[in-house]
Amino acid sequence: MSATGSQREAYQPPAAGSSGMGRSYVPAPAGTMFYLCAECGVKVGINKGEPIRCKECGHRILYKQRTTRMVQFEAR
Amino acid sequence: MPAASNRRNIVGVKAETVTNVSSTDFPGHWPGEDHSWNIKHFRRTFRVKFFRNTPLFSQFDLIHTDAAIANTLRRIMIAEVPTLAIESVYVSNNTSIIQDEVLAHRLGLIPLCGDKDALKGLSWYLRGEDSAPREPTDEDTVVLYLKKACERNPDAKKTDTDPDKLYINHNVYASDILFEPAGRQIKSFAHDPVRAANPDILIAKLRPGQEIDLTMHCIKGIGQDHAKFSPVATASYRLLPDIKIKKPIRGKAAERFAACFPKGVIAIRERKDGEKEAVVDNVRNDTVSREVLRHDEFKGIVELGRVRDHFIFSVESTGQFDADEIFLSAVGTLKAKTINLKRDIYKMLRKQALDARRAREAENPDADEEGDAMDTQ
Ligand SMILES: [Zn+2]
Repeated sequence: MSATGSQREAYQPPAAGSSGMGRSYVPAPAGTMFYLCAECGVKVGINKGEPIRCKECGHRILYKQRTTRMVQFEAR
Repeated sequence: MPAASNRRNIVGVKAETVTNVSSTDFPGHWPGEDHSWNIKHFRRTFRVKFFRNTPLFSQFDLIHTDAAIANTLRRIMIAEVPTLAIESVYVSNNTSIIQDEVLAHRLGLIPLCGDKDALKGLSWYLRGEDSAPREPTDEDTVVLYLKKACERNPDAKKTDTDPDKLYINHNVYASDILFEPAGRQIKSFAHDPVRAANPDILIAKLRPGQEIDLTMHCIKGIGQDHAKFSPVATASYRLLPDIKIKKPIRGKAAERFAACFPKGVIAIRERKDGEKEAVVDNVRNDTVSREVLRHDEFKGIVELGRVRDHFIFSVESTGQFDADEIFLSAVGTLKAKTINLKRDIYKMLRKQALDARRAREAENPDADEEGDAMDTQ
């Protein structure tokens, strides 16, 4: 257990908001939110003021997607 | 009873009772015999015999030692030999049907393997205060990734119903866990990266559109803290069975006698006069089921027992270290513990001697008694 500090290299803990360590995450165009259609399961992008409606099948029920924010759990 | 001295270390297994359970080889039990602890005697009599030794399984005998020692070694192997296991799971995305908590727990239980020397060289990760958590470093933390997304197979036929043909990446296996070495780990784990010891463990099932994307931090820990850190799947011992045939069993009875035991325990030998006789062949195969004691014809002819100071260990490794290494490591831990205990006893005795001298000096301050103090070693 030698503490040779000079060779230590600190990890970058995955920061909230980013999807892990420096991996590519393409941000959506500002203002567009993506939802999942309850009927056909397709990903629907909706901008401010647009009707809440699936662009494929016209279904009016859309689900919010799971957060891609990092959540920490203990493996116990 | 002169014959009894040979049978002193035999635990009697009767039809409904177990007799002669406790060991008696301690000072003051047998008149005229010296049973005080003697390292020379121990060295002469103690034996370790390996019967099977594969990386994942090892069976060996500890002969002529006390149950206390055997049990200590067993408990250290289970709870105090350190291993690497997944401790924190950082979930970026998990749209599978397995909840994050359950998934994290499953991941924690996956046995890992990798370069043994590099694993042993890892230091303990010391959790800081809640207000100031310690940063993980390449000395104490191993980072693993798991990222998999399921899709429909474009080449699947319309008539297909088999998930293996319909979907791509619908099974997440332990082999999908990827190691990202950091700092000195790049060198130390170069030839033998950290990975799941059993690549075919099914972690989760996915369907098209579902995804698992997470980062894991592994640290060194011991089984006392959590079972996932235990290096053994089983570490157990049993006493060597003992079968004593007091009167020859011959002819058809010999076959009936052999049938009372598992295969290989009783052999049937042909005598010079052509008659068959039952002899004890391999007692290790016996389960001491006591079946033979149910038969009236063998009443008083056979005595079952177990050898009290003959321990048959079986150690099954989870894959991080070899089974025999785990045993040796446990012996090392036991030795370190005894050294600590010895040091503390000396410390205690020194303090007692010092207190006694101070009390004496307080009683009669004129007399200066020297040479009475304990050896301060
Ligand atoms: Zn739809």
